[in-house]
Amino acid sequence: MSTQASTAPAVAEPVATAESSARRTWREFRRNPLGLPAVVIVAVLVLVGLCAPLITAAPAGYGPDVLQAPSAAHWFGTDNLGRDIFAEVVWGTRASMLVAVCSSALAIALGVLVAVLGAYFRSLDTAIGTLVDLMLSLPVLPLMILIAALAGPSLPVTVAVIAAFSWPEVTRVVRSAALSVVGLPYMDAARVIGGGHAWIIRKHLLPAVAPVIVVSVVLTASRAVLSAAGLAFLGLSDPRSWSWGRILYEAQQSGAMSSAWWTTLFPSIAILALVVSATLMSIAYNDARNPRNHRR
Amino acid sequence: MPTALRFAARRVARGLLTLWFAVTATFLLLRLLPGNPALAVANPNMTKHDQQLLLTQYGLDQPLIVQYGKYLWQLLHGNLGMSFTQQVPVSSVLLARLPWTLLLTGSALLVTVAIGVPLGVLAATRRGGVVDRLVQLGGVVGQSLFVPSVGIFLLFFFGLWLRALPIGGAYSPDASGAAWYGDVAAHLVLPCLSLMLLQIGSYVLTLRASLIDALGEDYCELARAKGLPNRTVVWKHALRNALLPTTTLVGLQLGFLVGGAVLTETIFAYPGIGRGIYEAVTQLDYPVLQGAFVLLAATVVVANMLTDLLYGVLDPRVRTA
Repeated sequence: MSTQASTAPAVAEPVATAESSARRTWREFRRNPLGLPAVVIVAVLVLVGLCAPLITAAPAGYGPDVLQAPSAAHWFGTDNLGRDIFAEVVWGTRASMLVAVCSSALAIALGVLVAVLGAYFRSLDTAIGTLVDLMLSLPVLPLMILIAALAGPSLPVTVAVIAAFSWPEVTRVVRSAALSVVGLPYMDAARVIGGGHAWIIRKHLLPAVAPVIVVSVVLTASRAVLSAAGLAFLGLSDPRSWSWGRILYEAQQSGAMSSAWWTTLFPSIAILALVVSATLMSIAYNDARNPRNHRR
Repeated sequence: MPTALRFAARRVARGLLTLWFAVTATFLLLRLLPGNPALAVANPNMTKHDQQLLLTQYGLDQPLIVQYGKYLWQLLHGNLGMSFTQQVPVSSVLLARLPWTLLLTGSALLVTVAIGVPLGVLAATRRGGVVDRLVQLGGVVGQSLFVPSVGIFLLFFFGLWLRALPIGGAYSPDASGAAWYGDVAAHLVLPCLSLMLLQIGSYVLTLRASLIDALGEDYCELARAKGLPNRTVVWKHALRNALLPTTTLVGLQLGFLVGGAVLTETIFAYPGIGRGIYEAVTQLDYPVLQGAFVLLAATVVVANMLTDLLYGVLDPRVRTA
């Protein structure tokens, strides 16, 4: 496969560089056979989450049809209390997305802040590096369980707990990217012309590590989905809202798990589809923006 | 060898630092979280008077620093408090469960290495081949798996559909003698397989990448130029060096593996610490939850120290670094 990228002149007018590099990344992204389908799946799931009330009524309780296999009336079957599993999955999409977006936003904000401060003010870096290493080497799930159980399961607690233990991974990735940028001559130049710390970080350091942050956002969000589902599976989710993990938890609690395959299959597919697509999306983006992959 | 000794001492010191951090973080979290600190030691069903009594008994009405000192002192003596629901020390509840968790995670690690190394070699030596493509896809999907979903699938397929393997517990009550070991092994297969599927992808991908790098190095070129068979170059020369980053990964992923074990044990009613955590959550048995984290953290730290020391044996360079 040959591309225009190799034949096009490498040097464009300075003004157009940012524009054309974004366009080139997008073109490379589209050429990846797994990139676009992944985006479509994530977009569909986001849409389902946003439009849940338009798609189906909230799963309300206790219908007469208990543990029915999938049918025209109940696409995904019903659970042990006669609730429609399709409705549970659709509304679960909403909660799972919300947790993923909020906790990843918090973790990214905190993680990037710590990473950039550490890379820029070198005196902080050793302490930050040690802290990140320590946190990454501990078994995080048992700690999340302990805190969620103490604080009482609710949506904000889930978000806070997941964010509190996801930022070190963000810091680790962003920090190593930031460290390699800080040593470059243009950072010295920015300092020489009298730029303040805040200005240099905002205008020069952050844009340089932005692509790493983009990848980190997607990966953190998809890991947050898994963590939230894990907590919910152990019974630590908001009892007032449905999530994919909670459907599995209820199936396990009621014993329906081993007799009615539909109670666990559909939420499992939802989790897998979202996490795999998000991961593929970030891999495709990473490949697309890496110029080494352009001539293949 | 003083250098080797110094290396070992440094790794042990780092392990102790990690453990101190875990213990201190738990202590602070439990005290600084909004809410009643009595919850950490006192059963919510107790009367106010009894709770106050317990607070005094545990010293929770004393200054934070005094509490911290006492907490560390108790931990050093292996005292993790009393379980709310079973009137026994937390440590004896958890230590009875620890061997099962060690058996499960240990065997999952072994199987991962036993299958992962040949797969990684095959993927790296036949780049672009069928195995390579499957490995790359499996690496992505593997990291995205939700453990309970995998467990449920295996349980349905092997346990309920094929009826080939037991679906829960760690042993049958009626097995004894030599049959007992076979029975334990049969119960171990499905949980172990779930954990293996969860982590094998990242190992194989790491091994593949580092093996490809190693095969491009001069010493492999030289080995080939000497006329050594390709097999020897791959397995004796390149693989030895390529295994080093994979060893690091084993250490890094231990915390993740333990998290997976908690969920796997819950699905398969496996009587390890993870299942204990699940039961403690349903009964809001906070001392058990806290003890389980401290014990799992200690296990991970010790295992990490062992991999670090093993790394020192495998790669003499890090001993002097």
